[in-house]
Amino acid sequence: MAGEDRSVAGTALGDLRVVEFTAALAGPWIGRIMAFCGAEVIRVESRKRPDVVRGYVPPWAPEMGVQPQLSPWFTDWNAGKRFAALDLTRPEAVEIARRLAAACDVVIENYSAGVMEKLGLGYPELRRVKPDLVMISTSGYGDRGPHHRFVSWGPNLEALSGLSRLSGFPGRECTMTQYAYPDTLSALHGLFAVMCALDHRSRTGEGQHISLSQTEATIAVIGDVMMEYLADGREPRSLGNGSLHAAPHGCYRCRGEDRWCAVAVFGEAEWESFCAVLGHPEWRADPRFSTLSSRLENRELLDQRIEEWTASRTDYQVMLALQEAGVAAGVVQNTEDQLHRDRQLAERRFFEEVPHAKKGTVIAAGIPVGLTGTPGRSGRAGAAVGEDNEYVFGELLGMTREEIRRAIEVGAIESGVEG
Amino acid sequence: MSDAATGKRALAGRRVLELADEKGVYCGKLLADMGADVIKIERPGGDATRDIPPFWGGERHPERGLFFLYTNTSKRGVTLDIRRAEGQGLFRRLAETADLVLETLPPGFLEDLDLGYRSLRQANPRLVLTSITGFGQTGPYRGFNSSDIVASALGGSMVVTGEEEDPPVKLAGSQAHMMASTYAAVSSLIALHRSSISGEGQHVDISAEETTVSVSHICGVGKWLDDGIIPRRRGTSLFHSVPSGAYPCTDGTVYLMINRPLHWQALARWIHQVTGNQEVLDPMFEGPSSARQPYRELLDIYISDFTSQFSVDEIYHEGQRRHIAFTPVHTAAAVARDPHLVARGCFAPVEHPGVGTLTYPGAAYRHSATPWRIAHPAPAVGQHNQEIYGGELGIAARELRSLTEAGVI
Repeated sequence: MAGEDRSVAGTALGDLRVVEFTAALAGPWIGRIMAFCGAEVIRVESRKRPDVVRGYVPPWAPEMGVQPQLSPWFTDWNAGKRFAALDLTRPEAVEIARRLAAACDVVIENYSAGVMEKLGLGYPELRRVKPDLVMISTSGYGDRGPHHRFVSWGPNLEALSGLSRLSGFPGRECTMTQYAYPDTLSALHGLFAVMCALDHRSRTGEGQHISLSQTEATIAVIGDVMMEYLADGREPRSLGNGSLHAAPHGCYRCRGEDRWCAVAVFGEAEWESFCAVLGHPEWRADPRFSTLSSRLENRELLDQRIEEWTASRTDYQVMLALQEAGVAAGVVQNTEDQLHRDRQLAERRFFEEVPHAKKGTVIAAGIPVGLTGTPGRSGRAGAAVGEDNEYVFGELLGMTREEIRRAIEVGAIESGVEG
Repeated sequence: MSDAATGKRALAGRRVLELADEKGVYCGKLLADMGADVIKIERPGGDATRDIPPFWGGERHPERGLFFLYTNTSKRGVTLDIRRAEGQGLFRRLAETADLVLETLPPGFLEDLDLGYRSLRQANPRLVLTSITGFGQTGPYRGFNSSDIVASALGGSMVVTGEEEDPPVKLAGSQAHMMASTYAAVSSLIALHRSSISGEGQHVDISAEETTVSVSHICGVGKWLDDGIIPRRRGTSLFHSVPSGAYPCTDGTVYLMINRPLHWQALARWIHQVTGNQEVLDPMFEGPSSARQPYRELLDIYISDFTSQFSVDEIYHEGQRRHIAFTPVHTAAAVARDPHLVARGCFAPVEHPGVGTLTYPGAAYRHSATPWRIAHPAPAVGQHNQEIYGGELGIAARELRSLTEAGVI
């Protein structure tokens, strides 16, 4: 197993080495979390086919042109990794990539369907050099099926999976997030699948290949909603912020511009507390609101009355007043709120300061794996293509200076560090 | 579990105790469908998650809730009142046999019963205890009440979802809980990996607020500090991808996203071929999305004029033939019928003895050596009491009867 000589003290995955052939978010984020937990993660890239995320022009200085190392996305999604530059269209580079895989426990790839095989880096080839390898291939449509070559980005899959149609207010046909949710949710499912395979390997010595469909990961997280159709052939209703078994349940306008507080009242005890906080104990006896079914029936009226109360208060006042009475309430926070106003995230030191070669430090959202015995950390922010060539090819693979020089000459290893 | 006929399971031999409400049941499902022996512990009479509507067949029934059925596949089920001393004794005996205890109780609840991590690890140092709560085990909000919409709000996913002129909106289902569960499954296996090497388990502290921030971080703090723009709702288009969004067809809606210069060229050529539009070929639209940023609205008009002449299927298939990322905006029915998903066997029929066959969405991953599988449907209330308390813990039938009569199980 790779990594016998590496220190494993204090980290959860310190015994593992990972190589990734990835781009964008869905693939790299698997490696990001593993690196956070102590695995050594080596990212292979080529300057000739740069990750789309590196194509970043700083909006505060467009005259600088493309600045691959300044992309806030790239540096975050690739924090803690080593960077090696190989032009995989060269046979010598493929040979080196195979040696890398042989030195690793896990391979992560999210190239277009068939690319790894065409390069000679498919699972059957890599298994030959590393029999107990765990390899994951993740793509929008999965590696088989009539549409497996179709192109997609995370947001496309919100639409394709049914998520955007089933979400949102009634009458809105397509409700989208701004965060390419299928990319992160499928990376988490991918890492779960890898950890399952590693568990099997540790017991049996057997490696395996995993193919992941990001569409199907997205369907899985709305599986309970999909079941409504699968069980009874009925198209599920879009509920907006409502619930089929709780009222009040929604998002209420508060004082200020675009300020809101979400509230969820489950059960009669919470309803009683809620009425008391709002100063409307008489609602409990009002036949329009006295039972859950009457509240569900008169939801719109109830929501209006609630908003009369919330609209004159700040979102944080509403949250704290309700929480004090045991009612679930939470401010609709944006990213600035989370960094500057959220006492919980601050106290738990959720945001991380990560060293960055050009900016000094950047701030990243934490990776909330919650490992209290072996807490992780992000290492440095994502660096330049080939930043760690010397370590990866010289130290790790044991290539001599002469071998490396020749590999650079034939264009297999891309040398030099770009901006 | 009847594994004899089924071949290898990735998590064979791992035992999990689950004391979980709607925040954690998906975590248990992920583990159980990969072969872990997940013992679901419900309060006598059954957990409240059994009452979550809607129900298979429409009628309220403790074994027909679709949320419950979906999130409890492949588990075994026992009942136990852990607030009673006898219940705590049984829980401790079960925890001695487990690799992982998964719980979603309020912080401090298990400690108060002397069933917290420190107490359980004395008998079983390798044990991993994973706690999922709204806010985590520490901090000023640790005692706050949470729910899926509350975690979605604080976690920042709602403020960036939906239309600009609408209130913030949550996604379908319960995404904050699904992500807390998925993170919990990942972290639990990472902690077990460590435990196998070091012999030391640990306490895993999952906060649904934090996991929501984490999965929606793409429009998070790093980007804002860089460009000064606080992300908020902006309909169906993504700020940094031009064009992107939902466009009308004769019979529905397609979603389009362009990120690469070549993809833009392919789209512009196609629009020109169909509509004769010359302007769309203007070189000022060429290049990365940032070059098209000032022309978003104009391009949206060109594209809508074009897509509205075709059906969703026509745009989808001809678009994909041209390597343009068009996808349909599927209904649930369309997902269930999608020829690609059907050909891949994305849906798994599961036999419910005496009731019928119910089709479940399958898993996203295909393991070559240890396939995912729903071993059996969600357990009925206390279905495995006899098997586990009697058969495995060796409790005599008479004692079991008196525990049942006393309401402990």
